[in-house]
Amino acid sequence: MAPLLSFLNVSKRYPDGDRDILVLDRVSLDIDFGVSVGVYGTRRSGKSTLLRLAAGIVLPDSGAISFEGRDITRMAGGERGRLLRGKIAFMSAADWRANPGESVVDHVAMSLGSEGLTMREARRRAMHVLDCVEVGAAGAQEPTTSLSLTERGRVMLARALAREPRLLVLDEPALFPNLSDRDRFYAMLRLTTQERNMALLVASEEMPALQGLGVLMSIADGELVSTEARGTVVPLPLRRRAGAERSGP
Amino acid sequence: MASVSPEKTKWMRGPSTPLRGALLGLLLERPGHGGDLANRLAARLGETWRVDTNDVYRLLEQLEKTGLAVSRDEPKRNNHRRTHLVYYPTEETSEALTLWMETLLPREPVRLGLQAKLSVAREEDAHRLIEALKAYERECLMLAQLVSPTDGRSRSWTALCMECTRDAVYAQLQIEIDWATRTRRRINEHLEHQR
Repeated sequence: MAPLLSFLNVSKRYPDGDRDILVLDRVSLDIDFGVSVGVYGTRRSGKSTLLRLAAGIVLPDSGAISFEGRDITRMAGGERGRLLRGKIAFMSAADWRANPGESVVDHVAMSLGSEGLTMREARRRAMHVLDCVEVGAAGAQEPTTSLSLTERGRVMLARALAREPRLLVLDEPALFPNLSDRDRFYAMLRLTTQERNMALLVASEEMPALQGLGVLMSIADGELVSTEARGTVVPLPLRRRAGAERSGP
Repeated sequence: MASVSPEKTKWMRGPSTPLRGALLGLLLERPGHGGDLANRLAARLGETWRVDTNDVYRLLEQLEKTGLAVSRDEPKRNNHRRTHLVYYPTEETSEALTLWMETLLPREPVRLGLQAKLSVAREEDAHRLIEALKAYERECLMLAQLVSPTDGRSRSWTALCMECTRDAVYAQLQIEIDWATRTRRRINEHLEHQR
């Protein structure tokens, strides 16, 4: 069976003034169904690019990215958009947008808008998933503009989980005012995705945010190093950087 | 690393391996007597290493027994009536250093072995160093995976102490990975600059 997500020699460059910066350098990896993967990297290491490629938000300059065996780089924009809204969910604290007058439950329910549900059904499903992330009935009626940093993280997670994606991609998913809130959030994240047999790809600048995940990787200068759990994430060893020879391990 | 006879890696056993490896690198640069090599080693490794001259003499004797160094009794420069042992590399020294550069790190001591390799690496060792640094990063990630996760719920003192211990491990591993990736970047930038 094809892996859930597969990168094959994926490279990505971004312009920087009059030159290009190689952000990802021939990265190859497979992520299987239900596997949790943590990516550690400092700022500008390439981890956000890796995750945005995994979520289909940006496309690579070269190489192939397959989801459930289908090359998403060859999909039309609309088809890829549907995939992104359905089987893959992406979450980043930087993407938080509060809408004045909108309640938490409606904020989550609105993300289900294109699934053909009535608003009442969407709210019911939203309430269920909010309960899973420990936002109670009272919290669900709060306006999104009044949420704390911790609550925002939970609501964003509920919104990502509501569509029951196969792959949840989280790039620095939340900001936390204290360490116990952070640990509780990540414990909840591990539990909810395990229960749903959802694959999880999380990137963070903090190693403790990646605790308890099945496979860990580090990324620097667009190159991955992995713990290489067999059959889950398999980075291919041979990579070449802009013409410079690198020997395999 | 290709299959190597155990005889050739015998000298790489024990906690003094990083120092033995560094001494081989120094001998290849130029021969020297024990005191000279101890001084060069101390200067190269910096003040975080405590280089004991007696240890250096002992390690040089071990290297000579394994055929990786050879000593000759030579007159001292400032007193020709007295002699001292000057150590030279043998035909096998360069190959031994290359093998050491290619070996994976033992679990302990972790960074010291890499630091020793870096201190005497030849430019031709750049790719070996990059692979050694990657192996080190992988080792750090695997150690991080061994740390049991917390659920952040317990408020007991014992749980707090365990979380602090866990944090200490993560903090150390994060620093190590950052150092390894930064070092790889420096080497890669150098290689690209040389092209």
